[in-house]
Amino acid sequence: MSLFQPRRLRKIVLEMAYAGSTVHIGCAFSIIEILAVLYRSHLNLGNGKPESPGRDYLVLSKGHGVMAQYACLRELGWLTDADIQNYFSNGTILKGLSDAHIPGLEVTSGSLGHGLSVGVGLALGAKRQQTGQRCFAIVGDGEINEGAIWEGLMFASHFELDNLLVIVDENGYQAMGKTTEVMALGNIADKFRAFGFETRDVDGHDEVALDTTIRELVQIHSNKPRAIVAHTVKGKGVSFMEGDNRWHYTRLTPESYDAAIAELDSPELEVVR
Amino acid sequence: MRNAFADALVKAAKLDHRIVLLTGDHGYSLFDEFRQVCPKQYINAGVAEQNMIGVAAGLAKAGFRPVVYGLSAFIPIRVLEQIKLDICYQQLPIVLIGDGAGVVYSSLGSSHQSTEDIAVLRALPNISILSPADGYEMTQCMKLALSANSAVYLRMGKADLGDVHHSVPDLSWGQLCQVKPGFGEIGFIATGSLVKTALAVAQKWNDSPVWSAPSVKPLDVNQVVAICKQHQSVVVLEEHSVYGGLGSAVSEIAAGYAPTWICRIGIQDRFSQFCGSYEYLIQEHKLDINSVLVQIENFLSSCSTKPKKKV
Repeated sequence: MSLFQPRRLRKIVLEMAYAGSTVHIGCAFSIIEILAVLYRSHLNLGNGKPESPGRDYLVLSKGHGVMAQYACLRELGWLTDADIQNYFSNGTILKGLSDAHIPGLEVTSGSLGHGLSVGVGLALGAKRQQTGQRCFAIVGDGEINEGAIWEGLMFASHFELDNLLVIVDENGYQAMGKTTEVMALGNIADKFRAFGFETRDVDGHDEVALDTTIRELVQIHSNKPRAIVAHTVKGKGVSFMEGDNRWHYTRLTPESYDAAIAELDSPELEVVR
Repeated sequence: MRNAFADALVKAAKLDHRIVLLTGDHGYSLFDEFRQVCPKQYINAGVAEQNMIGVAAGLAKAGFRPVVYGLSAFIPIRVLEQIKLDICYQQLPIVLIGDGAGVVYSSLGSSHQSTEDIAVLRALPNISILSPADGYEMTQCMKLALSANSAVYLRMGKADLGDVHHSVPDLSWGQLCQVKPGFGEIGFIATGSLVKTALAVAQKWNDSPVWSAPSVKPLDVNQVVAICKQHQSVVVLEEHSVYGGLGSAVSEIAAGYAPTWICRIGIQDRFSQFCGSYEYLIQEHKLDINSVLVQIENFLSSCSTKPKKKV
């Protein structure tokens, strides 16, 4: 059975969200394929342990999608089934936002606009020590309202951090509504290009396209930092969650949980894929 | 004191290549030697302090020992959340230098003055606060800061007031350094620029001892308790708000373990109103020797109406 199948990752997210009666399902679902492709094919995990000194960095700057990363850490065996089933139980350590105390998570996010800069520092450190490590940083299209993000992009460009790949999860929504209505940013890829990034647009749910684009950007000869604007759908994978921003906040009921799991188990869906 | 800082930094960076200096486009002429001797360890992160703190955190996670320099109005005030989440929460060994603390930038106004930096950082876990009074203390503070296992904020205030020590004092975390001996009824504790003022003011009360507190956090509880028990009143002086600084720290300890009259001399709950020289602003905030004397006398006369039981 191949690792990091998006449908299985989404089911782990649902299992966690249901167990913990928690929110941010839509935020996690939009980055499932991005994480799956990175973990499966692009992240050098060193000796395969979270504390491996030479492994690549995956910085989840948009910490609200952390359940998607927990699901990947479960696939790696860095988390256990008990961790998933006991999500949000008293005395457990997995929180509702990215937390650097968890082995495998690099930054403490949730307050947005922090992770990218820490990732920039990790990339700079790796370059200066010539370790060959790469840093992949995932930011949200709502998160990039934060000024600190643009400070980080400016710095990465000036210091020619060609080992940094920033992936924007452009799912079109932020907490209170559509990004075009809350704080329209226009063409995000153009803005990254203007900041000196080698930038590509890609369908963020097309694993083949993601894989090809990441491979191309990693191999390209350029001293620029790289960026991908991944066009995604908030809540992707479950029909009644897709593009419905209520799933930023909504908790699963027994009925919605069963319906969502049933969709992900449906063979019809497999054909569509 | 600035030379002691720059010298200590250059010496340390030559020996330890993990030390990197980040500056938010500040420190004109201060880092000339550093840039000459350790050019690869110097990073000007531009006028972008939030990102600079995140980058420092990333570098620390990658095994470096960042020293981040800025004006205390920006480091730590502008980047408090980055310090909390990116540095303190992960217990990273980063030294933050806040230069020009207090009202040093007297003519530039409130944007460049900081009288709240100690207060805000005291409430964050995993960060220590150092506030040297002269070059000797600075040398010792840099030693402590660069060998710490977690974050340190080093507050650099008015730097050209002259020395309070005659030689490098012993200094460990939390320790108060006695700079004037004595067995009088009033004990003086001060930090940074106001140690000099405390020494001058203490002349008025025969045999009053003065301690300098370069380590504001941690602060040696036993030593503060001993000072409180030995004196009828303790006067605490700092170029910082009377809320949340050294005066508060001493009062908290006294209230818990050795109730004593504590007179807190510092910046009252207000911004600077006027422009002028450093000395002028110090007067505006009633931190000059004469104003301090008046405040202490008023304080002592108000406590004498409520006599304290001798411990």
